[in-house]
Amino acid sequence: MTNASEVLSSIQSAFPGAVLDSRVESDRRLWATIDSKKILDVCKHLSTKLNFDHYSGAAGVDWIARKEMEVVEIMASHGTHQVVAMLKVKTPRENPSVKSLTGLYWNANWYEREIWEMFGINFEGHPELWPLLLSDELMGAWPWRKDYKGYPDLTTGERAVKISTPEGYTEYHIPPTPAEVEAGTVVVERPKYPTLREREEKEIKSDSEMIMHLGPQHAMVPGPFLLDVLVEGERVHKAFLDLGYIHKGIEKIMENRSWLQGITYTDRMCYVASLSNNECYCGAVEKILGLEVPLRAQYIRVILEELSRIQSHLIGTGEFLTLIAGVGYAPWQYMIIDRENIISLIESVTGARLTHTFVRFGGVRNDLPAGFADQCKKVLPYMKSRTEEFIELFAQDPIYHKRMDGVGIIRPDDAKRMGVSGPPLRATGVAYDMRKEDPILVYPELDFKVVTGTKGDSADRIDVRLREMLESIHIIEQCLDRIPEGPIRTEVKVPKKVPAGEAYYRVEDPRGEMGMYVISDGGDKPYRVKVRGPFYATFQTLTPLLEGTYIADAVAIAGSMDGCPSEADR
Amino acid sequence: MTTTEKIHQIIEMGPIKNIFNWGRKNSVYFLMQPMGCCGVEMFVFGAAPYDSDRFGCIPRNTPRQTDVMIISGYLTRKYLPVFKNLWDEMPEPKWCIAIGECAISGGPFYDSYNIVQNTADHFPIDVFIPGCPPRPEQFLEGLMNLQEKIKQRKDKRDY
Amino acid sequence: MDIIGSISQFAAQEPAIFALIIGVIGAAVIAAVVNVGAMLVIWGERKVLSDFCNRFGPNRVGGRWGILQLGADAIKLFTKEDIIPADADKGVYVWAPIVASMGTMLVAAAIPFGALHIGGKDYPLVVANMDISAFYVEAALSIMAIAVFMAGYSSNNKYSMLGAFRGVARMIAYEVPMGVCVISVAVMAHSLNLVEIVQSQTVWYAFAQPLGFVIFVIALITDLGRIPFDQSEAEEEIISGYNTEYSGIRWGLLYFQEYNNALLGSILLSLLFLGGWQGPIIPIPVLDIISPLIWLLMKVIIVLWFFIWVRSSLFRLRIDQVTDLGWKWMLPLSLLNLGWAVLVGSYFA
Repeated sequence: MTNASEVLSSIQSAFPGAVLDSRVESDRRLWATIDSKKILDVCKHLSTKLNFDHYSGAAGVDWIARKEMEVVEIMASHGTHQVVAMLKVKTPRENPSVKSLTGLYWNANWYEREIWEMFGINFEGHPELWPLLLSDELMGAWPWRKDYKGYPDLTTGERAVKISTPEGYTEYHIPPTPAEVEAGTVVVERPKYPTLREREEKEIKSDSEMIMHLGPQHAMVPGPFLLDVLVEGERVHKAFLDLGYIHKGIEKIMENRSWLQGITYTDRMCYVASLSNNECYCGAVEKILGLEVPLRAQYIRVILEELSRIQSHLIGTGEFLTLIAGVGYAPWQYMIIDRENIISLIESVTGARLTHTFVRFGGVRNDLPAGFADQCKKVLPYMKSRTEEFIELFAQDPIYHKRMDGVGIIRPDDAKRMGVSGPPLRATGVAYDMRKEDPILVYPELDFKVVTGTKGDSADRIDVRLREMLESIHIIEQCLDRIPEGPIRTEVKVPKKVPAGEAYYRVEDPRGEMGMYVISDGGDKPYRVKVRGPFYATFQTLTPLLEGTYIADAVAIAGSMDGCPSEADR
Repeated sequence: MTTTEKIHQIIEMGPIKNIFNWGRKNSVYFLMQPMGCCGVEMFVFGAAPYDSDRFGCIPRNTPRQTDVMIISGYLTRKYLPVFKNLWDEMPEPKWCIAIGECAISGGPFYDSYNIVQNTADHFPIDVFIPGCPPRPEQFLEGLMNLQEKIKQRKDKRDY
Repeated sequence: MDIIGSISQFAAQEPAIFALIIGVIGAAVIAAVVNVGAMLVIWGERKVLSDFCNRFGPNRVGGRWGILQLGADAIKLFTKEDIIPADADKGVYVWAPIVASMGTMLVAAAIPFGALHIGGKDYPLVVANMDISAFYVEAALSIMAIAVFMAGYSSNNKYSMLGAFRGVARMIAYEVPMGVCVISVAVMAHSLNLVEIVQSQTVWYAFAQPLGFVIFVIALITDLGRIPFDQSEAEEEIISGYNTEYSGIRWGLLYFQEYNNALLGSILLSLLFLGGWQGPIIPIPVLDIISPLIWLLMKVIIVLWFFIWVRSSLFRLRIDQVTDLGWKWMLPLSLLNLGWAVLVGSYFA
């Protein structure tokens, strides 16, 4: 078993002088500042020698007082060990530039693009440095820097300008604010996201090909994102993704809200899994504060998160079914009806259907209502029998298997390389679950299996989700039996100002591994919150996965990923 | 005065208009366009437990065949042009419902750099449904309010 | 008596004009019957599908059954703005819905809607009783595919174009086995006339040639473009397929013709394979006259209900799987069925 200090000493012995600063938080967390010249070598060493095969993401931090910027690379492993290495690379604030990791880790692409467009940190050697989340007119404003002038912007509505194109279409454009222009932060000459026409000119090779939009408004999308497919007849040759259609800037907003207010924003990141988002943020803050969560509160959190997982899987599967069977297909409606049972259970505790804001630092907001356990014991066996029915239904349906078997196969090593997590990864047979890997709350004491598939195709992903629901029901039943009496919030008074520090906390979201990296500078607001969303990572794999499929399959594959663009865009 | 105008005048005067509005109010197809938290509730609103079909209100995917656009969440700078196009593609008579705080005023994202705060600047919104997100029952209430508005010709669109 | 006498006198004097007048009246009646029937089919589909999905379906207009829902939809569609896309092929775009309704009316002209049982004899209710009506009806049903292609091609929209391609590919693949099935029935009945086919069914052809029946049902569902074969309209893949750009009354017409076709197709199925209007005569006055009609109606309702049942419980196939199924399985099997029909038919002859 590797632990954090061993990793640190291994780096130090291999590259003397590369580690500028380091802190071993626990066996599982390593914080190290790496010399920016040697980051590539260190990462290579980590991935080849020390099994750090999971590039979990990257975060940019703007240290305006120290006049430098930081890129934090989050590295982990798929089950070989549980160490998460947070490698920081420093770069001056003037002309910030660091080395790109895209050569080593395929999925570093989007993370680095995001940091580039939000902070203006250049990545040397990045293949396609163009906007990912922002629209073209905001490019160059670097909105996540601490000195961004366009914030808060209350005038976007009034400023929209109508433009008539020569072809007779109407387009709208929102120019930068006067403050942005005055500050000189808006630089017009930046790489722009290619327009459809440019892309057509570049990519289309023959007359039989065309580029087709699937989105941003399309029956397939669970939230607006643009999936362009280059098709020849029915065959998809290439796919392009563009997101940011519901980019709300949550990470920036949270820097301007008090610690407690931040919880409400985590709700709205992925609204069908808001309890795990709450948990992730609160867990990270609790880690900085060093708070102990009372046992009863831990059980309540686990119960609600598992309930939330069940309803998320139900609506995800339901949406997927409409994609391959049409809205007239009856079972998806049954799933939504069953989901209402779970929703009303959650609602009886939290008082809301989707956005709960239920978890608090060091506990939960309120106790379980009277009769909750009885109600659960009524609903859960019913849900269990229904879920088994659904599993059987799909297992027996010949057309379903004709459509879904072997469609959108991800091989295990590809899935690891691409940073996929959650059901899409487990469907490939890799038993990687945060609840086992980086256990939080009372999960270590509970008995549950990590559900895995075998083939990694779309049918398997759905199957894994459905069987995971059974495991969740099992977990809740155990919790209801074991839940002790006691306080639901920690006795310690939670301070308004959180002491300076940083923490990285991971939970198992219904869609996979969700991590939050929270930095406090001792103030009453977070200095920086970075969200490592599971669907952001899964989203990236769509483009290579769709190549060579049919249009109908492209829709099914995208649906089987159980997308939540809101969480990817934040 | 052309014949068409004359016909319009006659329609305007008589009870035919009421019949038209009866048809319109009972057959409101909405554009399937989930955008945020409210989008999930919109999905549920169209599905079995709440069943908007009872009111003759069903989702359609192409804007050409819809009567009401539901702004179901945050409208971003990047999405606004697309959304305006969708609105322009819808045939008259058309209505617009703004659902949730984000669509009405920006909601919790009122000061975000990427959110369009006041959708009423861009779309003639008939019904506002507050909530974050509103419950599907509130969706139904909003739909019934819209129906009442169409029936009483208070939508001021001269339909 | 005087009126009837003068009419018969007129008929004797001017047979051609009389036939024309009768034809026009018949056509008007048939058009009304078919269109009202199709409206009921749409309403029925919405209600039955709602039942399958555990919800209520329309229940606000026209009493608790929402029977006037279609009226509201029709009024709304009639009074919608008429949009023709700027770059559309205008002529074709405008004509596509008309061609579609022409197709269904052509079918309606030759299909028997039942019979009246008067004095121990069945009088079939058919406007044009032609000798090749079975084949003619099957051919005219596929005019819808041409309309689909016209609509998709002229819209100047990528989704519509794909929908049109899919529609044509599917139509070609399934029209052949469907035609072969009709021929097999004709071989057994020794006639291509639908009335004679019905009258020759002492045993329902669904039992005499079960394979042909199954193939015909699948091909019919494909022809009607219903799930699992609704690729030309696959809402979740290509927005709304061939009618993506259609709005208002034009879309209403196209949408309506699909259900017209569903109604006529299920009548054709009942006539060819389910014994048509044949059934025991109800020994009650008045009812005995229309009892063949009742039998046919019951069969048609069961067939339509079956279509809705299929829609609510099956997944949509991919277009390549559909054509695969058509060319590699349906066609050879339908030929096999033809051989069987020839054998059995000649044995009983």
